[in-house]
Amino acid sequence: MPDQVSTATLADRPTAAYVHIPFCRRRCYYCDFPISVVGDRPPQWQQGQLQFGTIADYVEILCREIRATPRYSAASLDTVFLGGGTPSLLTSEQLDQILKAIDCCFGIASDAEISMEIDPNTFDLDRLRGYRAAGINRVSLGVQAFQTELLQACGRTHTAADVYAAIEMIHQVNLTNFSLDLISGLPHLTAADWQDSLEKAIALAPSHLSVYDLTIEPGTAFARRYQPGESPLPTDDMTAQMYRAARQTLTQAGYEHYEISNYAKPGYQCRHNRVYWENRSYYGFGMAAASYVQQQRFTRPRQRQAYAAWVQDYENAGGTIACPVTDQAERLLDTLMLGLRLSEGLSLSKLETDFGGRSLQQVLTCLEPFQRQGWVALTGAPDSRLRLTDPQGFLFSNVVLSQLFKELGEG
Amino acid sequence: MTDAPVSRIRNFSIIAHIDHGKSTLADRLLQTTGTVSAREMKEQLLDNMDLERERGITIKLQAARMNYKAKDGQDYVLNLIDTPGHVDFSYEVSRSLAACEGALLVVDASQGVEAQTLANVYLALENNLEIIPVLNKIDLPGAEPDRVAGEIEEIIGLDCSDAIHASAKEGIGIVDILEAIVEKVPPPQDTVDQPLRALIFDSYYDAYRGVIVYFRVMDGTVKKGDRVRFMVSHKEYQIDELGVLSPNQIQVDALHAGEVGYLAAAIKSVEDARVGDTITLSAAPAKEPLPGYTEAKPMVFCGLFPTDADQFEDLREALEKLRLNDAALQYEPETSSAMGFGFRCGFLGLLHMEIVQERLEREYNLDLITTAPSVIYKVTKINGEEVFIDNPSLLPDPQHREKIEEPYVKVDMITPEEYVGALMELSQNRRGIFTDMKYLTQGRTTLTYEIPLAEVVTDFFDQMKSRSRGYASMEYHLIGYRENPLVKLDVMINGDPVDPLATIVHRDKAYHVGKALVEKLKELIPRHQFKIPLQATIGSRIIASEHIPALRKDVLAKCYGGDISRKKKLLQKQAKGKKRLKAIGTVDVPQEAFMAVLKL
Repeated sequence: MPDQVSTATLADRPTAAYVHIPFCRRRCYYCDFPISVVGDRPPQWQQGQLQFGTIADYVEILCREIRATPRYSAASLDTVFLGGGTPSLLTSEQLDQILKAIDCCFGIASDAEISMEIDPNTFDLDRLRGYRAAGINRVSLGVQAFQTELLQACGRTHTAADVYAAIEMIHQVNLTNFSLDLISGLPHLTAADWQDSLEKAIALAPSHLSVYDLTIEPGTAFARRYQPGESPLPTDDMTAQMYRAARQTLTQAGYEHYEISNYAKPGYQCRHNRVYWENRSYYGFGMAAASYVQQQRFTRPRQRQAYAAWVQDYENAGGTIACPVTDQAERLLDTLMLGLRLSEGLSLSKLETDFGGRSLQQVLTCLEPFQRQGWVALTGAPDSRLRLTDPQGFLFSNVVLSQLFKELGEG
Repeated sequence: MTDAPVSRIRNFSIIAHIDHGKSTLADRLLQTTGTVSAREMKEQLLDNMDLERERGITIKLQAARMNYKAKDGQDYVLNLIDTPGHVDFSYEVSRSLAACEGALLVVDASQGVEAQTLANVYLALENNLEIIPVLNKIDLPGAEPDRVAGEIEEIIGLDCSDAIHASAKEGIGIVDILEAIVEKVPPPQDTVDQPLRALIFDSYYDAYRGVIVYFRVMDGTVKKGDRVRFMVSHKEYQIDELGVLSPNQIQVDALHAGEVGYLAAAIKSVEDARVGDTITLSAAPAKEPLPGYTEAKPMVFCGLFPTDADQFEDLREALEKLRLNDAALQYEPETSSAMGFGFRCGFLGLLHMEIVQERLEREYNLDLITTAPSVIYKVTKINGEEVFIDNPSLLPDPQHREKIEEPYVKVDMITPEEYVGALMELSQNRRGIFTDMKYLTQGRTTLTYEIPLAEVVTDFFDQMKSRSRGYASMEYHLIGYRENPLVKLDVMINGDPVDPLATIVHRDKAYHVGKALVEKLKELIPRHQFKIPLQATIGSRIIASEHIPALRKDVLAKCYGGDISRKKKLLQKQAKGKKRLKAIGTVDVPQEAFMAVLKL
């Protein structure tokens, strides 16, 4: 165990696990994440042996990584999250195999939040039942839009009708805790379509909603086709307006805007994602997965072969990772960058305890101009907190954060 | 240290184009004469500034004394006086050459004569130096020694039948070079009996010993403890330390006519002991200083402003320190309504400017905004008064001026024939006047233009290189002032005039420059939370306008699976960018914007 690890963070033992499933039927035009495309035709990915072999191989390697990882906490896991890619390309047996491996090595608490991302048109009722039986108690459905032509324009493999079919199945297996993903700022998206999507989403009564503003990532199909801010992409003015509209519509419908891009009915915030935002530690498993354990932030190799080779080395090294620990200064920046995404912001007394009065003072001095501008707010005693305002502070969060990086970073 | 009679001293320089192998050859000479052992050999010993190493060019000259037993059985002292290889420092080159009786002309046998080489050869001929041609890199497969020898004969008129074939890298021809130096370079004149006159060819500031002066004794003798006078600066000092460079400093008690050495005398600033000044004895002074001294005249000016106003005093101190070592650097405080407090600085040329700017940032850890370089304009006012303007924003208004004259330079380019068209087009676009074109050997051509200096100090050199795929070389020197219909182009950002962006342009180009400039600024200035109008104006007339739309959001939607590394990189990049911003009114302007006019 590295001796530089301060006692404060040793107390923070991981009780969350992220599992990455890097398979998709197709690559969406906005996506630049490392994934393997397994093909579009249902027979192939539903029954065909060809691609199944690849996914099965991956699950094997993944489980080896899980088993090679030391357990750092006596407490069982409070959250498990399967993200992707498209985790719903897993058979329920494969999912069961992964969750069993995790439970066996780290223990999954009986009241744990066990989430997975699922995409319309990639699963049927039987499979969803299987997931449920394996322990899944929360799903996040990748809807993105309710207009089939918009879905096609961004390379999704489902239609608006598929969304309704998926919701129907979710209800049938009695999953009350489900989330929907929507993307604003898609090409050709109009304010009216956006409003329509928001209302249709609300009508489905999810417990949680993630609303992402499209980012044009370099190297994606969208980056080749479109110029940010230029037609057919909506202007920044329009997407900022979409952000405000989402906030307005969703909060009126009883959702709290608890994070820059996330909304939840009271009691239904995503416990797993809060681990990230509160800069707590978590295990990460799978190709390209990030983990934060023993103050080491580590991202696994982004190619299948490299990942498999890494797992081999990892097993040989007895589950230790050679990467630098996050120092105090870095950790402060991470804490600010992540914590200010939450509408509740950061507790001043906790900042002071963790990083000292001098650092806190530096942060407050740096943020003073933004406070005057109305982007940053301080809430009063007894529990004084520092937060970004909604929506202005959220919309310009990078301006605030990069200022903090400039003032507090090393260069 | 061998005490050598004047007849067995040889003082020489090496003239070569960048990359033609001067430093390697110098290293090899030191090694072959046993001055430096192979073990002590660092690559390219003579260039000992970091910046020089990085750019592969010699900026500051140095010297080295070598003992050599020639084939005639006699011991000789060979003094190599290195010269800077860049046109900005041609005055220093001329003083180094004046300290020598001979020079090696080193030409890459796979390339040929280049423009700067030519300029320096002419300087050497003016100083009556014996020139020994050396065809270097003879080991390269592409070497064409006969062609290149022919080229030297044709361009310079130098007999190349005895040209030495060498490869400094492979150690070929090194002894031939040493023998040629002994045989062909004349010994210095024996003027030991005359009053002391020593020529300063370099000096640098040492924090412990004061300025270290490098000189060649032309007449008489100088001894440790002598009180000496610098004839131009009129300063007097007592010599604490006297020595030779081998190439490390080795102390001696006396140096006589013909010898090369250094002295330290607790001299406070290089200004007191400038390159070209003459050292004589206070007690028995020479009547006349040595000829050829010139005041270093800056040709290019720019404003240097700290991005953070608190660093103004640090910048002043840093400039003071640099000036201790660089008499050619000029600076005076400048106040700009847009930029706050800074300095207007004068430089010998663009390279000199870049070096100073880089040293300030690197060695003194300052964040600076540099404004676009300007030349000195000669303005005749209505009342007949003549003023020199090195800052476009200070140009008198049209109603107060009779005429504006601008400096012209003669630009000599040597290029392979196929790029002649491209270089002519470039020169024409820069308001150049064609004066001459000569065909050299085998498809190589010299091209001569007279061009306003202002058009050369922008990216002319880079353009010349890129349009000739790196094959052309150039050299320029000032030829005088000429009147032109020039106007001042102002730039307004968010309605406020920004004086550091003001530029003086030819009337016929003003519209084009103004339009391109505001377009460029639109690209370079980040969006703000408000719309920012950009305008280019001449007097009160707006000739071009653009606007930067308001920033409506700057937010990252998500981090995939808790992977914060990408988001963090982006924020770090943004934070770094912010450090290079200067607040002008309510608009943050990045460094690149102030150089935009150079990139149109």
